[in-house]
Amino acid sequence: MSSASPASTVTPPPVFQVRGLTKTYGEGEAVVRALAGVDLDCHAGEFIVVLGASGSGKSTLLNLLGGLDSPTGGTLRYRDQNLGTADEAGLTLYRRNSVGFVFQFYNLIPSLTARENVALITEIAPDPMTPEEALELVGLGARMDHFPAQLSGGEQQRVAIARAIAKRPAVLLCDEPTGALDVRTGIVVLEAIERINRELGTLTLVITHNAVISDMADRVLTLSDGLITQVTANPQRKPASGLRW
Amino acid sequence: MSLLDRKLLRDLRALKSQALAVALVMACGLTMMIMTRSLILSLESTRDDYYREHRFAQVFAKLKRAPHAVTEQLAAIPGVAAVQTGIALQVTLDLPGMAEPATGLIQSLPERGELNLNRLHLRSGRMLVGRGSTGEILAGEAFAEANNLKPGDEISAVLYGRRQTFRIAGIVLSPEFVFEAPPGAALPNNKTYGVFWMPYRELAAASNLDGAFNQLSLTLVPGAAEQSVIAAVDRILRPYGGRGAYGRESHPSHTRVRDEINVLQGLSVGFPLVFLSVAAFMTNAVMSRQITLQREQIAMLKACGFANREIGWHYFKFALVIVVAGTALGALGGVALGHQLVEMYHLFFRFPQLDFRLAKGVLVAAILVCSLAAVIGVWGAVRSAVRLPPAEAMRPEPPASFRPALVERIGIGRFFTTPFRMALRNIGRRPARALLTSLALALATGILVVPSSFRDGINHVLDFQWDLIQRQTVFVALIEPGPPRALADLRALPGVITAEPVRAAPVELRAGNRFRRLGLNGLPAGSTLNRVIDAHNREIALPPHGIVLSAKLAEVLAVRPGDALQVRVLDGKRPEFSVPVVALSEDFAGTAAFMEIGALNRALGEGDRISGAYLTVAGGRWTEFLRATKETPRIGNVVIKQAIRDGFRKTTAESIGLIQKIYLTFATVVAFGIVYNSARISLSERQRELATLRVIGFSRGEVGAVLVGELTLLTLAALPFGLVIGSGLASAIIQTVNNEFVRLPLILTPANYAFAVLVVSVASVLSALLACRRLNHLDLVGVLKARD
Ligand SMILES: Nc1ncnc2c1ncn2[C@@H]1O[C@H](COP(=O)(O)OP(=O)(O)O)[C@@H](O)[C@H]1O
Ligand SMILES: [Mg+2]
Repeated sequence: MSSASPASTVTPPPVFQVRGLTKTYGEGEAVVRALAGVDLDCHAGEFIVVLGASGSGKSTLLNLLGGLDSPTGGTLRYRDQNLGTADEAGLTLYRRNSVGFVFQFYNLIPSLTARENVALITEIAPDPMTPEEALELVGLGARMDHFPAQLSGGEQQRVAIARAIAKRPAVLLCDEPTGALDVRTGIVVLEAIERINRELGTLTLVITHNAVISDMADRVLTLSDGLITQVTANPQRKPASGLRW
Repeated sequence: MSLLDRKLLRDLRALKSQALAVALVMACGLTMMIMTRSLILSLESTRDDYYREHRFAQVFAKLKRAPHAVTEQLAAIPGVAAVQTGIALQVTLDLPGMAEPATGLIQSLPERGELNLNRLHLRSGRMLVGRGSTGEILAGEAFAEANNLKPGDEISAVLYGRRQTFRIAGIVLSPEFVFEAPPGAALPNNKTYGVFWMPYRELAAASNLDGAFNQLSLTLVPGAAEQSVIAAVDRILRPYGGRGAYGRESHPSHTRVRDEINVLQGLSVGFPLVFLSVAAFMTNAVMSRQITLQREQIAMLKACGFANREIGWHYFKFALVIVVAGTALGALGGVALGHQLVEMYHLFFRFPQLDFRLAKGVLVAAILVCSLAAVIGVWGAVRSAVRLPPAEAMRPEPPASFRPALVERIGIGRFFTTPFRMALRNIGRRPARALLTSLALALATGILVVPSSFRDGINHVLDFQWDLIQRQTVFVALIEPGPPRALADLRALPGVITAEPVRAAPVELRAGNRFRRLGLNGLPAGSTLNRVIDAHNREIALPPHGIVLSAKLAEVLAVRPGDALQVRVLDGKRPEFSVPVVALSEDFAGTAAFMEIGALNRALGEGDRISGAYLTVAGGRWTEFLRATKETPRIGNVVIKQAIRDGFRKTTAESIGLIQKIYLTFATVVAFGIVYNSARISLSERQRELATLRVIGFSRGEVGAVLVGELTLLTLAALPFGLVIGSGLASAIIQTVNNEFVRLPLILTPANYAFAVLVVSVASVLSALLACRRLNHLDLVGVLKARD
């Protein structure tokens, strides 16, 4: 089993290339500077954890990377594509083909079963795995035909992960995926994310304000007041199963 | 099926009662639209086919007597395609077992072959052909049915004082008598009036018209000017006592069918328009709420790469399912009710075959109209949903900002209970929403006002016609105008208490280049039995000089009191004179003109003559009176007010009642739909808050009171406004229905208003209770866990 860090090989072009990225909300008196100039390169297969206090701009950064929102300034490149200048249709296509999202509150469609929630995405993706495969990957093979209301929080979050990775995305973006879960379920969910990152080589960014999780990462970014104030590279990734908080 | 579609179906299932409410409202509008348009199509196409196949004439004329040779002259008029001349004779019928006298119109059949124009349609028995068949007659179906006569039965009639018995050879229909009613009568009375046909030879012999004719019909070549043909006919017939030719637009049977179609046309627009607007409004309310609830789902779909277009289409389909359901229900309803109403038309109109024909084009148009209504309903909601950047949509909506309600701020809040105060604050928090809900409730109230105002309008017309204007027991018409002594004779009939004469003459009234032909009535100045009434229900005393017109006729001729009018008499000595218009009378059907009887007689120049009389008859001597009229040969026609009124109750009133009931039912369904939908939306909006109340220990009743309180407040605010809207709607719809021939006054009664208020109140209470029941089943934990 190879756990070679991608950073150690001859540097291939980064997946994300971010320079001087800014994002402000509102105007005049009420203006909020959510990102104040972020520089960042992310590489294929990397596992990156983003730490920071509430309101430091973590979600804003993730949303920009995921093409959910457009930056106010700076450059944001995904491979050859300039996401900063992409239009609505371009961003939609980018999200559809390349990005998998996992949110704190799962955001499943309550009227669809686990399998159907995943299938919703595999229907529109160009080269998806089957919903069953995706659900097996997160260890939910047995509960495929349950509706969200019949699943626990951890299970719902794993369905959300299965939904995110079923399209074999190049990037998996998780915004506080364990924020609403207890320790044990949180670890199960993190294991699922770790496994995807490892087995599919998906560039993974996980936002958290739980510092323990950073032990899983190749790199840890710390945000405060819209700036990356600290970057730590872990020489050794700790498996999710070994985490406790 | 795509998974979004599967989501759609499951969401629909969760919202089924609301979706059904919207679909039902839509279906009500469509049912009426499809029903009325289909009836119009059925009546028009049936009528046109019938007219064409049986060669219904285009110009008609009656005269005293002209020799056959004149026919050539008529045929030679430029623009005339075909001519049919013949004899028409008014007769008194003698029906065994019937107290009141019956009259009939016998028309001649040509000596050779079939009628050239106005051909008959044989229903049963056989036609009369050739010169033979002495003593045989064809009878019109309406009369035959009403009197249970079949081919082979016998019927007696008095022809020029001579009583004769005929055997009925066949039962027939004629395009001239689609509506089989005595001349001048607004309503059919098939038991006492019938039409018949018999060979020319026999009829001519009985009426001393051998070798002559007294009526004619003709058709025109395509593109011929009807007016110039009519003028030419009048010129030719003048020496022969012509009474003025007229076109189809004045033909009594034709105008009845046309008026019915006109009324349907008015109804096919007004009601459906209102209902469909309401449906669009409700669709918008349901969809807005649904989209607000699914804000995060929409954001997730966008995050996963669904395009705005796909998401918009998804929600539009939601509305489309409702449209399809509504259209299907509406089409079924329209077809079913249309069939019913076609049956009803058999009561009035005699066609060889009147089948329901579905207006398919309308069905397609209906789907388009409703889809459009749905698009309009959904557009705004979907647009704001897909516009929201997904990152933002994922954030829960900011908590609503509340402040004390107005009544609390002015210090009377402490008199209210907590739930009531919450209800007030809820309304104050989103005044726009509250306003919209109130508007919907007001519409529900308004819709209920309309059908009842129709019923009240019709009742008003009937009361006006039969209680205020016509106060006689019976009207008798003489076969020919008679001397003053005739009035004394009528007064001397057994049981007669009062008698007032009437003189009638066919005239053409002209003002500038506008003109109308109608019967001008001469009445005594202080006439008490047939009164001339103005718009304020005041009696108009007919002056010794001048003419009184019904308001509509004045409008048609564009004259006002004080203006002069040219009168050309179309009968007798045919004088022409000018009279000033002195007053306008109120009238709800057709048009009318009146003069003082002495003034009219002077103008006609034939001395003092009467055409008939209005009589009141003592109840105790009624049968005696009827027997006497049957034995008086000079009496042509006896119109018994009560018989017409009863006949009307049984036929027209019943049919109008049916239509009105249908509409009222629909309005009630719509009102319930609107109210229930509003209650559901409020429940959905308050769900979290109400669940919180339950969790912290409020009882079900107390929590329900918040919801009920809010709905009650909104309903109370909506009701007065709704009555105003309803009055406006009723007025607008009556405007679209009214025309020169049929007019309804706008009558709004307290009972009508009370009913609307009652239905909406009951609907509110029931809807609130239903919503409260849902509240009881609320999964408290689930609601609180979900981020709404
Ligand atoms: N749509 C928005 N409008 C206004 N301010 C926003 C919006 N989104 C985020 N912010 C502000 O930007 C800052 C960064 O927010 P966010 O990226 O969500 O922080 P984090 O995820 O680190 O808690 C916060 O101060 C937040 O209030
Ligand atoms: Mg955040």
